[in-house]
Amino acid sequence: MNSNVAIETHNLSKIFKSRDRNSEAQGSFFNRKKPEMVTAVDHLNLEIRKGELFGLLGPNGAGKTTLVKVLCTLLPPDEGTAILNGFDVVRQQMDVRRSIGALFSVGERGAFWRLNGYMNLEFFSAIYNVPRSKRHERIMEVLDLVGLKDKAFERYQRYSGGMKRKLALARVLLPDTPILLLDEPTVGLDVISSRTLRDFIKNDLSRKAGKTILYTTHYVEEASQICDRIGILNRGKLVACDTPNNIRGIVKKGEVVEIRVKSITDAQIETIKNMDGVTDVTSELEDSVLDLRRLRLNLQSIGSLPMVLDFFFKEKILLIDLKREEPTLEDAFIELTGRGLEK
Amino acid sequence: MSQEIEKIYYFIKRDITSFSTYKTNMTLMVLGALFGALSYAFLGNNATMQSVLNLYHISFKDYLVIGVAFSTYIGQALTLVQATATPWQLEEVLVSPTRLGTFIIGSSAWGFIWSTVVVVIYLAVGYFAFGVMLSINIIGTVLVLGLGISTLVGFSMIGAGILIVVKQGDPVTWLMGILTSVFGNVLFPPQVMPYPLSAVSYFVPQYYFFTCIRLMMIGRSLQSILPDILTLALMCAIILPLGYLIYSWCLKTARKNGTLSWF
Repeated sequence: MNSNVAIETHNLSKIFKSRDRNSEAQGSFFNRKKPEMVTAVDHLNLEIRKGELFGLLGPNGAGKTTLVKVLCTLLPPDEGTAILNGFDVVRQQMDVRRSIGALFSVGERGAFWRLNGYMNLEFFSAIYNVPRSKRHERIMEVLDLVGLKDKAFERYQRYSGGMKRKLALARVLLPDTPILLLDEPTVGLDVISSRTLRDFIKNDLSRKAGKTILYTTHYVEEASQICDRIGILNRGKLVACDTPNNIRGIVKKGEVVEIRVKSITDAQIETIKNMDGVTDVTSELEDSVLDLRRLRLNLQSIGSLPMVLDFFFKEKILLIDLKREEPTLEDAFIELTGRGLEK
Repeated sequence: MSQEIEKIYYFIKRDITSFSTYKTNMTLMVLGALFGALSYAFLGNNATMQSVLNLYHISFKDYLVIGVAFSTYIGQALTLVQATATPWQLEEVLVSPTRLGTFIIGSSAWGFIWSTVVVVIYLAVGYFAFGVMLSINIIGTVLVLGLGISTLVGFSMIGAGILIVVKQGDPVTWLMGILTSVFGNVLFPPQVMPYPLSAVSYFVPQYYFFTCIRLMMIGRSLQSILPDILTLALMCAIILPLGYLIYSWCLKTARKNGTLSWF
């Protein structure tokens, strides 16, 4: 075991029986079909270094939440091992729980609506073994950290969605554990709250406090903005694991150029498509009154571009704008898995 | 150990605070207990049941008030674990360094405290307004309560375990509720029923609980209930660990299947 590693999994698998209640899927009463087995996490090998902010990216159903639940001892793995802070999730469950703070995507269900924020945290600080002498100080500290100090004594049911999420995060921070497992922490938040929370996670928890963070999300931009490294999970398998830039580089086979032009015909677009070095052209009408079109050219290399521009010049097609596109994480995901991500 | 006891205190504090915010509900519950006590005391005051006198040497009024008072306790105990151990709370607590036993006791504690308040209301109304005979054998009462509640919490854990797996419909609590009302010795002694039916009560822990608690509330000695309390203790020794085992197994199954937070 590497002492610089905070979270590691070896051949980790989790398999569920399909719970399809559809009568056709279940068969008749006398002739039950065998339940389908769904592999949520499939022989996953992963290493997250101490102090790293690691993003786990994947579409809904990719296995992100299942992985988090296995890591926080809520689900037992069917195969393989997972070690957190040096402790095995099956054999040393209590030690693992003392090392982690886990925030689930549906965080508000665990809170108590009739209590105020402070009392909610007071209850959880006892549950998380925060020493009694330090409890008040710690509660105020985490409330201050998440920006809820002023609302500490307001009843939880009156909190906005963003405040509820912040309190859920404050609860996770109470025991001051070295590892945080944050499962879609910004889900359901508005743009500003989401950005504030992301900044807090990156600047305060990761950079200043040096915590190891596993951050799952299906928002591409979120992962690329804050994470040191990203793992792309697809149908339970880790299909890529690298820095955001390096993952983008995976799809940089060829060039993508976006061009806005005026008055181009379908026949002319067809001609461009058939040019040497042009692999694909998609066209979109941007303004029918001004007859503006947006063309997306996939080129084998940037060397093919002068030929296209020369064609515009000869055909007297007015070029409004030209932009060389960088591949996105979504491009990388589609390249790697053939599935799209939610934006 | 002290850390786990402190956690139970915070569970109680959480539930009391939460409960006290529902002021209308709290008032209605207290009034409900008051009127319930009044109606049963009036009924007992104006009716006689010879078998009660023969079996316990107390009036029907004393029999009824004590029985109904403690039946609220038993009803509460039967549903406590499933009512408080909601799946989402289970998830939140199971990822913390808190023992399952602490969670079950902590989640249930406030329910017992509130039941005690209701029992006190019933007994106070009975004693002060209707002259119900009370001469409490405190040690015996505590012992019988401990055994009776532990036994029913065992059933409650079995019911909660089933509920965690099947999500809706808990046959154990349903069955125990029926057994309490028919064979539990709450409103009438089961001995008034014809033989095959009355014999069923000997297999129902509630029967021993109500028999013993009544006699302890009127000041009888522990020796006078020795066979019954030993039977209750034996049932408790079997059902409580069995309940815990079944609850743990169901929890483990739900965790393995990933259905813990489903409901």
